[in-house]
Amino acid sequence: MGITLAIVLKSIIIGALVGFGVGAGAARMFHAPNVQGMGAFRTFGELNACEGDPISHFSFGLGFLFNAWASVVGAGALTQDVDHRIIPNWAAAALLWKNRDVTKTLHDPKKMAFAGAIVGIFVVTLLNSTASSVPASMQSVATQVLVPAANWLINPIMPIVFWIAAMDAGRRTGIWSTVLGGIGHLIMGNAVPGIVLGILIGKGVDDSGWNRITKTLVIAVVILYVLSGFFRGFDVNLLHSFYLDIPQWLIDLHAFFGSEVK
Amino acid sequence: MTDQSIKNQGFWLSEWAFPIFVATLCSGIFAGTHMYYVYHVGAFNDIAIVAMLEAGIKGGSYGAAAAFGASFLFARILEGPLVGILDIGGSLQTGIGIGVPALLLSAGITGPIENFGLSLIVGAICGLLIGLIIILIRRYTVAGANSTFGADVMMGAGNASGRYLGPLIVITAIMASIPVGIGATIGAAIFYAYKKPIAGGAIIGAMIMGALFPIQIV
Repeated sequence: MGITLAIVLKSIIIGALVGFGVGAGAARMFHAPNVQGMGAFRTFGELNACEGDPISHFSFGLGFLFNAWASVVGAGALTQDVDHRIIPNWAAAALLWKNRDVTKTLHDPKKMAFAGAIVGIFVVTLLNSTASSVPASMQSVATQVLVPAANWLINPIMPIVFWIAAMDAGRRTGIWSTVLGGIGHLIMGNAVPGIVLGILIGKGVDDSGWNRITKTLVIAVVILYVLSGFFRGFDVNLLHSFYLDIPQWLIDLHAFFGSEVK
Repeated sequence: MTDQSIKNQGFWLSEWAFPIFVATLCSGIFAGTHMYYVYHVGAFNDIAIVAMLEAGIKGGSYGAAAAFGASFLFARILEGPLVGILDIGGSLQTGIGIGVPALLLSAGITGPIENFGLSLIVGAICGLLIGLIIILIRRYTVAGANSTFGADVMMGAGNASGRYLGPLIVITAIMASIPVGIGATIGAAIFYAYKKPIAGGAIIGAMIMGALFPIQIV
């Protein structure tokens, strides 16, 4: 089987599966919080922003198709926008073309699931199969321009933006996010997950006090940090940096989980 | 939609349908990572995050991808049932698409990522589990909680950071070469004038100029 044929056939299956889930999840977002939805807050907001107008939905998706195309050409990455923006908006556009009533189209998980599956097949197959036919000079633009820009976005832009948002959201949220963000950047290499957890805890306690849910959150976060730190070898690096000896039991423990202590 | 018509389509809005939708989506996302591993196309994530997995594939450490993916998955599974929307970017695309493969590969388990059929099955199982966990958390927490846990703060920050990408692309294009920088600048300006996200214009401008005047690789 030729590589191109394999890519096309697999892309059709993948696109259908992904589109089906994304479509149903997006429609269910309109019934949240009574029904568990799946998508993203930005997807929800953007779908609302062009609600009812198939041309708006279509052109919004098209804009991100170019981004996704440049990205898959450069680095083989489809971008998160395929699931977040292109499939839901094009599925909505296809349904709204025939019927402008959003409650019978965009908000209907069954119709959105099948529309999403068809859009998914088309988009994923198109992106994956054209990636290899793009000239090398354009690929090098994508990797030399997009990759560093995306790296800067992930670090330091996103940590800074989330950090500032957390500090502006109140004293408790600011403190939790600063502490968890800082330690998170040390352990996981990026502060954003830590800051998000800080916002969850800070705002949770602000809204409902120290109850079972917020206490569970804190315990879960501690476990997460300890496990991430251990599996990334942060514990050993920490001792090294303070010029301390690494106890034999810790070396044995790391060896037990398959990682070697230098 | 009237309440009546919601009830009429019982399955599609029911609680137990949710794990099935998560399973199909995860199955596709995980298989997307298989595509990336084998053909170097089709990973359902952004370049920067896929780059972490690539670092591991190229012989480096999978630690960054595994920790980043796992922590996002964890945070989003907690957040999803509380706010009513599971974020597929953090939980599924990064958690299942990058984190789980990185964990498997770092442990030397390549089967589910090399084999297309296995990747579909493993992804579906992961998705089914996540869907069930979320429905369970919902049952035991969301009824008693009257907090959105700062979802508005995170949403605002997420949108705000996305806006940085356009200017960043113009700057990196300028650093790459003069023609590419000029192309990105013009593209961004045209897209801004037509009220489109300038990242798209900057990319297209950079690619057109880069095709005409290839970047010299130092």
